[in-house]
Amino acid sequence: MQKLREWQHAMRASLIARDPAVNESLAAGIAPDRLDVYRNTILSGLTRALRLAYPAVERLVGAEFFDGAADIFIRTHLPRTAYLDQYGDAFPEFLQGFAPAAALPYLADVARLEWAVNGALHAADETPLELAQLAAVGVEDQARISFQARASLQLLRTHYPADAIWHAVLNRDDETLAALDLGTGPVFLLIERGADGITVNRSSEPEWLFLSALCAGELLESALEAAPDIDAPAALAAHLAAGRFVAFTVSAPATEQTREIAA
Amino acid sequence: MPLATTSTASLIPARAGIGLRFQHHQAVLDTNPDVAWMEVHTENYMGGGSPLRYLDAIRRDLPVSLHGVALSLGSAEGLDAAHLERIKKVAERIEPGLMSEHIAWSVVDGSYLADLLPLPMTEEALDTVCRHVDQVQSYLKRSILVENPSTYVTFRHSTIPEWEFMAAVARRTGCGILCDANNIYVSCQNHGWDASAYLAGLPPSTIGEVHLAGHAVRQLADGKTLRIDDHGSQVIAEVWTLYQQALTLFGPVPTLIEWDNNIPPLETLVAEARRADHLIALTAKEAAHAKAA
Repeated sequence: MQKLREWQHAMRASLIARDPAVNESLAAGIAPDRLDVYRNTILSGLTRALRLAYPAVERLVGAEFFDGAADIFIRTHLPRTAYLDQYGDAFPEFLQGFAPAAALPYLADVARLEWAVNGALHAADETPLELAQLAAVGVEDQARISFQARASLQLLRTHYPADAIWHAVLNRDDETLAALDLGTGPVFLLIERGADGITVNRSSEPEWLFLSALCAGELLESALEAAPDIDAPAALAAHLAAGRFVAFTVSAPATEQTREIAA
Repeated sequence: MPLATTSTASLIPARAGIGLRFQHHQAVLDTNPDVAWMEVHTENYMGGGSPLRYLDAIRRDLPVSLHGVALSLGSAEGLDAAHLERIKKVAERIEPGLMSEHIAWSVVDGSYLADLLPLPMTEEALDTVCRHVDQVQSYLKRSILVENPSTYVTFRHSTIPEWEFMAAVARRTGCGILCDANNIYVSCQNHGWDASAYLAGLPPSTIGEVHLAGHAVRQLADGKTLRIDDHGSQVIAEVWTLYQQALTLFGPVPTLIEWDNNIPPLETLVAEARRADHLIALTAKEAAHAKAA
């Protein structure tokens, strides 16, 4: 008798790569083409998941091209989780190296933006940090605060103006799309989920770098030091007011620790 | 057997409910349709944002059943603990009246093959499924229902009739059975089994819910006909007849109208639910009559 685990591996090889080995396990009179029903369901279900996450990419390349690219992507990048809202994170990189899409150099950037939008859309609900909690931190400890950003906040830097392309494509605004200057340099984006849905906003590079440092969990002190050209305290206040953080920690002062060890 | 920890208000009544899909979220809130309960796919509510807000709002008025489509009870490599935890989180939030999963598998080598794949009906597969149902029930601290599959192939090494497999899972784990009448019809037509015998092989006391849906018919290259469970059309007459047989055997049970493709206006689902409700009421009346006589 064939062991279940080996048999399931053989089924996978059949369903994804048409390896014929599993056909021997089919009962007499069962034509192997019946397995196409499962192949179709898997492929169409995963393609639908990608289509939901990447609607602008689909409009840019057309449905037929999208299906073809999805087919190749799916066979080489099966989901690692059964929670399909998280499926497709590798699609932007795949598109970046996908030769048939080379005529659209900005396609991967638009895909990166759509993946950030997808992440903001499906992130778990969280309660924003309340200013009162922060007010309890003593002045002497404030430099050693680090924040945890909400999961529905995504930061993205793209080489092409992905946000402008994305807006124009989803609004079917061909005029704006045709007039877009692709060579304006990188854009720095904040993607977040509010009460009314997803917003995508541009930020300046220094403001974006400051928020990136905070979101990466850097100490407030070092994030401030790395942002000499902006009004960082005002920026921090705005982020807090917008509910972009959900928690904070105060690290122990490194110098005192050193002193203790020395003593 | 683990006991359900649901409050009375969340219990699913022995009436007809409908499968709630995103397309109908707003319509349900706006029109407050006359159905007794709703069922959703657990996987559609694992993130935050608007889907959960809709479900919270609908849950305030109606009992909700959580129907998982991806836990993969039949995977030889074991359950994905992260997925089970996600299911538990949704259950804690929604407090469902029923929770169900499928007799199928989808995960191998950590990859999710996005379909309910058929299991060989072997002792090893039965042991695997029972082990996983035990694990799920003790993790969720409640009993679940397991749904019979619709299948397009059968296997040389299968040794257990599917209805006996279902009954054995229920007997060994204390779980209930979600009897999908359309799946029974589809599989019996595809494999030449007797649908009435299949129904008769399921222990009535284990039946916690019935599913009704439509299916497609496709001609194969070898001239045979294959019925495909696509939930994309109305319940056909033969499945309604099978459903009446099921009600006679099982008594009044919660019954779900399910659509997942070509999803029609909400009213179409409500009308099918009304038809099921009518049959449930007839069964209840006959049972009362038989008792009195």
